[in-house]
Amino acid sequence: MASSTTTVSRPAPFRGIGRSLLLTLPMALWSLLIFAPTFRTPEHDHQISSLLVITFMTTLFFLMMRTGKTYRWRRIFFVAVGFLFPVGFISSLIALRGSMSIPIERMVTGDTPFCYMVFPMLIVPAALTRTLIFPGSILPTESNPHSIAAMIALWLGMTLVLGKAWCGYACFFGGIEEGFSSIAKRPRIRRIDPRFRLVPWAILLFVVLLSAALFEPVYCSWLCPFKAVTEFPSVHSIESAIQTAIFIMLFAGLVVLLPLLSKKRTQCAFFCPFGAFQSIFNKIHLFTIRFDREKCVDCSLCQSVCPMMAISPESVREGKTLLNCMKCGACVDSCRKGAAVWHLKGTKVGLHPERARLFFLYGAWAMATMFGGYILANAIDMTLHFLPFHF
Amino acid sequence: MRNRISTFLAYLGAGLTLLIAALVPFVLMGAFTNAIAHAGLHVDENYTGGSVARVLERNGYKILIYQPVRPHFLQRTVPFVQIAFEPVSALPAEVNEVIDLDSDGKPDVQIRFKTPADPQTALHGDALALDGKFLSFENIGNDSFSRMVIRIGNRILVRVPMSH
Repeated sequence: MASSTTTVSRPAPFRGIGRSLLLTLPMALWSLLIFAPTFRTPEHDHQISSLLVITFMTTLFFLMMRTGKTYRWRRIFFVAVGFLFPVGFISSLIALRGSMSIPIERMVTGDTPFCYMVFPMLIVPAALTRTLIFPGSILPTESNPHSIAAMIALWLGMTLVLGKAWCGYACFFGGIEEGFSSIAKRPRIRRIDPRFRLVPWAILLFVVLLSAALFEPVYCSWLCPFKAVTEFPSVHSIESAIQTAIFIMLFAGLVVLLPLLSKKRTQCAFFCPFGAFQSIFNKIHLFTIRFDREKCVDCSLCQSVCPMMAISPESVREGKTLLNCMKCGACVDSCRKGAAVWHLKGTKVGLHPERARLFFLYGAWAMATMFGGYILANAIDMTLHFLPFHF
Repeated sequence: MRNRISTFLAYLGAGLTLLIAALVPFVLMGAFTNAIAHAGLHVDENYTGGSVARVLERNGYKILIYQPVRPHFLQRTVPFVQIAFEPVSALPAEVNEVIDLDSDGKPDVQIRFKTPADPQTALHGDALALDGKFLSFENIGNDSFSRMVIRIGNRILVRVPMSH
């Protein structure tokens, strides 16, 4: 377990300012490239929000380079995305249709944004009948740019780069939980049965099979806690009232209350079937976290700080994290012996951990800027739009 | 030697990952979107209403009759036939149509609804089954996917449930 520290002197920065700036330069250029189209529009709100996001993302990356820490700065971005996503999304819905509920007319016309959580449930019905069991349009339309094909393409591209790190650098739902799990100083719930780690796999299997049999996205219809902060079918029957009550209870319990009490991302670690699905990509993803057994003193600090419970005593002994590691860097940042290291598969453990970190972070932050940055810009844009004055 | 090869391959893979990251927003997303769009996938007919089987021409407006939509596997929906009336601007103030849905020469349903002047007005309508294959309903709006009378743009969609 973690022992309390009495350090008074500030640790030296990991890198000098010049070198940190140099390493940040590619990411600053990338941010400019991603947001360049908004500077060609005449709307000043778009330009201001883009400029803020470019500054925000570049500053955080600089701090990662300067301090050598990953988790702390990534968390600021991730929590911001988590809490600002509903702001942008809900205000868009209110502006578009005056409500968070989806009327049946919108489902018939396919004017419903596609959500990546449904992917695992689409696979079997699509393979067997070429049918997508989710309302939406396959190609982007003027009223629905988040079409099925565009969102699957986005997920596919990002998953090639991020793998399971999707859960730590892209999933705005996870950002909400990470926010709540960061509030308390110490966890009230300290002991969680490690067998709970298997629950997401059981839910994944359950929803995939049941969705294929019932030909409807069962998780979205009945179990998704994030319906409470996005959109849900309008309540017009006892069934839809029960569904809405379940969404709200799961959100309150798994996304707010348990993360507050345990300092873990409980929904992600013990419930989310999409997270389990993304874990499969850890098998083929090149980047991972490893433990240098020669340096490790078995203090268990890495296990206590891991928000996903992706480290067990056995896995540390084997020098690895578990399959559900999302590469947030919490264990590496907290390890006082330098035993937890970033690693590129195929290379020697601990030989060039910073090189592995840099390779990973450039790809991950590029995706975070593209996807999360867009969400942040949209939310800021909507907020500016509702201000009594305009720029 | 083996270590050198695996190290070389590892860094080659890491470089390729970065290249993919750079290509995602500018090349890969478009390419993947096109590939998925041309994969022959379609959205469940339960949402879309399926494909048009035939068109009946009326005085100034058309009635589109769709293929029956039946549940897949254990899908908890009732089979239905979608009918579209378009354009709304050409419809009479009150629509009262007897329609042969299955082309057997006999009337199957009588559809009745008042054409709303305001697109925002909630629409309700009735269907009277004239054949045992179909089910009647009364004063129905956007009830369920298999039983509805709704307005979408310049068309009115009616879904008539089937008995089996």
